[in-house]
Amino acid sequence: MDRRRVNGPETSVTPIFKSSTKATILNGSSKRIDNRSADDLRPLFLKTGLVTQANGSAYIEMGKIKIVCAVYGPRQLKRVGFSSQGTLTCDFKFSSFSCVQRRNHMRDPQEREYSTILVQALTPAVRLELIPKSAVDIYINVLESDGDNACLAAAIIVASVALADAGIEMLDQVTACSALMQEKMLLMDGTMEEEDQTDGSVMVSYMPSLNEVTSVLQTGKTNLDEVNHAMESCIDGCSKLYGVMSASLIESLQ
Amino acid sequence: MDTTLAVTPGQRLGYAQDYISGPGTYERDGLLYASVVGLRQITEQTGALPIITVSKEKEQSAVPDVGNTITGKIIRVSPMQATVAIMVVGQVPCKEDFTGVIRIQDVRATEKDKVKIYQSFRPGDIIKAEVISLGDARSYFLSTAKNELGVIFATSLAGATMIPISWQEMQCPITKAIEFRKCAKPV
Repeated sequence: MDRRRVNGPETSVTPIFKSSTKATILNGSSKRIDNRSADDLRPLFLKTGLVTQANGSAYIEMGKIKIVCAVYGPRQLKRVGFSSQGTLTCDFKFSSFSCVQRRNHMRDPQEREYSTILVQALTPAVRLELIPKSAVDIYINVLESDGDNACLAAAIIVASVALADAGIEMLDQVTACSALMQEKMLLMDGTMEEEDQTDGSVMVSYMPSLNEVTSVLQTGKTNLDEVNHAMESCIDGCSKLYGVMSASLIESLQ
Repeated sequence: MDTTLAVTPGQRLGYAQDYISGPGTYERDGLLYASVVGLRQITEQTGALPIITVSKEKEQSAVPDVGNTITGKIIRVSPMQATVAIMVVGQVPCKEDFTGVIRIQDVRATEKDKVKIYQSFRPGDIIKAEVISLGDARSYFLSTAKNELGVIFATSLAGATMIPISWQEMQCPITKAIEFRKCAKPV
């Protein structure tokens, strides 16, 4: 008799949990959980001018992902230090209700990393040499997230549209696309369920008109051939998104 | 060509050999691209290539540059300089104020060593100045050393809008008291 613990009645037994069956990400007729094919991107919705007090703003919906972006600038650099070029900073934040597990109000390391990636992806496209001593601040707020890589790609898209909406001079727009890799399978624009079941992923951000890649992010376990193939598919995916981005900007002119 | 085409950043506008790139565009590898969202406009020139510009619908928040005339408000006055909140650059307002500084030697063109800041500017005055340099980390350097630069609007100690009577003096219409300011020549 174990006297150190509070024992239940002697006839009690441990409960049996029903084992959860995970939905297969690619079923017999090559369709994914949400009925897309392996190459399909989620439908995209973009709108500018959501935040009226910012210089520029945009809202994106990509499947379940919802992100708001506000751009303030060019405005005076708050911190000390003369720079002959402008400075681009990004504040990436997941809302506390945006993910399955409640997120902290304080910035965590993942958000800091995503802020850096966003700055890396957008800096080559913005003409910072025209605004010396000034800062352009991008504020990203994720309202609902569905897949970390896809969320990051959507953030890059919405930030590029918001920068153009603010009237800041840019060399080109920046589109971004992500892909998940597992053995011989390549899934474009993976959701959170698919991300949990695949090994590796790639996110590419690309300037379509100038045909230049601005950033590549590879996470997880993959091999070199898969990464090359995934990057080419991502660049194709990026080109498809360019049309929607341009249309939403031209619509804001009317 | 249709002159009311709406363009987005990165859209190709034409060949560099056929056009000159104007505001809102840039040139790369012999091609002209748009750099903002707006309407493409082609202005013909006699004796030179036509200029392509993209007119911005939403004006980018202005950034002061050397040589621009700015309108601002004096926020702080010290024995060696006056601090200015730059609010308008040329004709374009700034969404958020920039900080500028008028040093004692840039207040006027003559008798620079005999300048008394408190007799040239007071906090709350609206001034027109010119940007002479990008300055240091915290502020732009401004100058009012021209006839048309200086205080354009000031309130007297009694609270009324003062009228400039000379380049050095302003008078309150209610109390008739004279206060010293470096006034701008009314246009």
